[in-house]
Amino acid sequence: MKKLLIFAILFYLPFIAISQDKLPNINVKDLKNRTVNIKSDFSEKDKIYVFSFWATWCMPCLKELEAIKEHYNEWSEELNMELVAISIDDSRTKKRIRPLVNGRNWPYTVLHDENQTLKRALSIVNIPYTLVVKNNDIEYIFNGYSQGSEEEMYKSLKKL
Amino acid sequence: MVIAKVLKKRCINLSRNYKINLLFLTLFISCYGAVAQEDQKKDYGRLYGGIESNLNYYMEDSGLGVQQPEEPFRSNNYFNLNYTYKKLTAGFQIESYEPNALLNYNPKFNGTDFGTYFIKYQSEKFEVRLGHFYEQFGSGLLLRTWEDRALGINSALRGGRIKYSPNSNFDFTLLYGRQRSGFEVTDGDIYGFDADIFLGEYLNLYEKGQDLSLGLSYVGRYEKVDFDNPHFNELTNSYSFRFDYIYNSFYINGEANYKEEDGIIDSQGSLSNDFVEPGHAFLLNMGYSSLNYGIDVTLRRVENMQYLSEREPQTFPNSLGDVNSSLDFLDGILNFVPALTKQHHSQLANINVYQALSGVSFLDPELMGAGETGGQIDFFYSFEEKSTLGGEYGTNLSINLSSWYNLPGTYTFNPPNYDVDFFGVGNKFFHDYNIELTKKISEDWHIGASYIDQFMDYRFIDGREIVNADIIVADATYNFTETRSIRVELEKMWSTGNRKDWAGGTVEYNLNEKFSFYVWDIYNYGSDKPDERVHYLNFGGSYRKGRHRIAVNYGRQRGGLVCVGGVCRFVPESSGFSLSFNTSF
Repeated sequence: MKKLLIFAILFYLPFIAISQDKLPNINVKDLKNRTVNIKSDFSEKDKIYVFSFWATWCMPCLKELEAIKEHYNEWSEELNMELVAISIDDSRTKKRIRPLVNGRNWPYTVLHDENQTLKRALSIVNIPYTLVVKNNDIEYIFNGYSQGSEEEMYKSLKKL
Repeated sequence: MVIAKVLKKRCINLSRNYKINLLFLTLFISCYGAVAQEDQKKDYGRLYGGIESNLNYYMEDSGLGVQQPEEPFRSNNYFNLNYTYKKLTAGFQIESYEPNALLNYNPKFNGTDFGTYFIKYQSEKFEVRLGHFYEQFGSGLLLRTWEDRALGINSALRGGRIKYSPNSNFDFTLLYGRQRSGFEVTDGDIYGFDADIFLGEYLNLYEKGQDLSLGLSYVGRYEKVDFDNPHFNELTNSYSFRFDYIYNSFYINGEANYKEEDGIIDSQGSLSNDFVEPGHAFLLNMGYSSLNYGIDVTLRRVENMQYLSEREPQTFPNSLGDVNSSLDFLDGILNFVPALTKQHHSQLANINVYQALSGVSFLDPELMGAGETGGQIDFFYSFEEKSTLGGEYGTNLSINLSSWYNLPGTYTFNPPNYDVDFFGVGNKFFHDYNIELTKKISEDWHIGASYIDQFMDYRFIDGREIVNADIIVADATYNFTETRSIRVELEKMWSTGNRKDWAGGTVEYNLNEKFSFYVWDIYNYGSDKPDERVHYLNFGGSYRKGRHRIAVNYGRQRGGLVCVGGVCRFVPESSGFSLSFNTSF
């Protein structure tokens, strides 16, 4: 027990002082298997990139992406914003990505982090998990989704 | 700056306790990284990482018939820290299972130690990495090393890896390592090579609306064999070829894998020198999608593809006086053969879960298998807004059908042998036919419903019966305001075996985008045994803000399989309180 306490204290020290504010330099694949760099391929000046981590089996993720879809044309024009949906499906469920994305007419750029390298580098434990990035800086993080919380995200995006 | 100085001192103190020089170095530069972040003028690099803690307090529960374990308080904690300076990155993960790991985790996860550590150089064309790494070749049927904390899996390789991409048309990977097992590594030396080749540009396919990519892999495992004159090589070679072709909205891809002759684990759990066979696996996937719909078909045949980093599984005595094998904890597995079935979110649809039979299994003369064959079909359709079936806001339909069978052929129990056909199917192991509809009906209401038909032959898994189950699920979400909502889900399962009929319900209240509370219960009202007719009631809540999340739960855990991504871990029945926390920085 004592050991655990010491351990816990040591654990929490560094995180009080610092916070990750940039995207890591990590490659993922697009739906044509091509390598995409999460940092250098999404670096248009002043454009807002919303990286949304999802999976075909994650119900709240699908709800979130469906909800954003309704407003996507409007928001992306108004705010110069692009949503990048990063699937963490592994080889069990990855075959479902292409038909789902097309069957649901998602207007998003879809990437695939199959062995979860990017998810691990960002220490993401639960999905949905959304990062808002502008000029390579992480501006906001939204963790989880409940019906309607896309409106909160929109309000935050408007401030950027 | 003061904080940074204190931090630097703490970091140095922390590093004093550990013996590994590489880690010393990482910590040291990390500490300087922390200092650096205070001073924005110069690039001193970047420090990042994460924390996850899962704490449980187990209690006695006479209704469930469980005793309080000897150590009722248990926790799994993970801390990872990485530091990047220009093209160099170094990092580690400390894991702490104190005073013991959560119930039924691998007994080799014990105490506090460094789980993984690495140093990496990354330029535009090269990545060179020493230490632990995760890797997957193709769909992982020969090699996948990964981490899943909920399942207690960390199968990272410890060694070296080079990735080289001379231009956008080629990706090469070369690696060597030993596989992590607990805080140690297993005895097998693993060698690997993988190539991805993109031909779209060379063959001018883009203009024609086409794309083609090819892949090749090699995985070798070398392990000394203890007995004389083994009938197989100490180095087991395996090869794989894959392709992916896209023509406008149509795609087809496939993978063929071959593993050389290797000794098979016999029914006593030891390595056989007489039962020696090669293994192979084939995967074919194709689909077509157009505006509003997508269809996908996957076929897979797997024969004798259990691939371990150490040929003979380790064994551990357990508290019940039995023996557990390292395979029970998914330890020492080099490849990934997931069940290709839909991963359901309903509680009751996760009671009869299928796990792919990847290897040879000779339980008794009636129950012999050497793999599996079968397929899965997915269909997605969106009914447009303002159409007859779409209504005001549109409707989403998903259909998924999967069936998996034993390999057809002849099997002999003594001496063990099999002769199987390539085409055709043997007895059915499992099927899952399901349909799901989700719909927004007004600005405030979202609803969903699904029907699932499952068949499961438990005789091949643990000698139990055949189960036929029908499940219905309905859920509705109502928004009081933009972010305050309530979700109610009701479930019912009729089943012919495995504790028979169940009912369940969930109520989730989202106070705002930060606070959520829930209560759920599943009730095994239809069991033949009166002491199994119990409620598994749970309640809890979570708070999340930015990168932080904290959650509490109080209630009962149903004994059985906890599955993530088609891989399952057995958990015993338990009752108690849990607290989990995670963040990143």
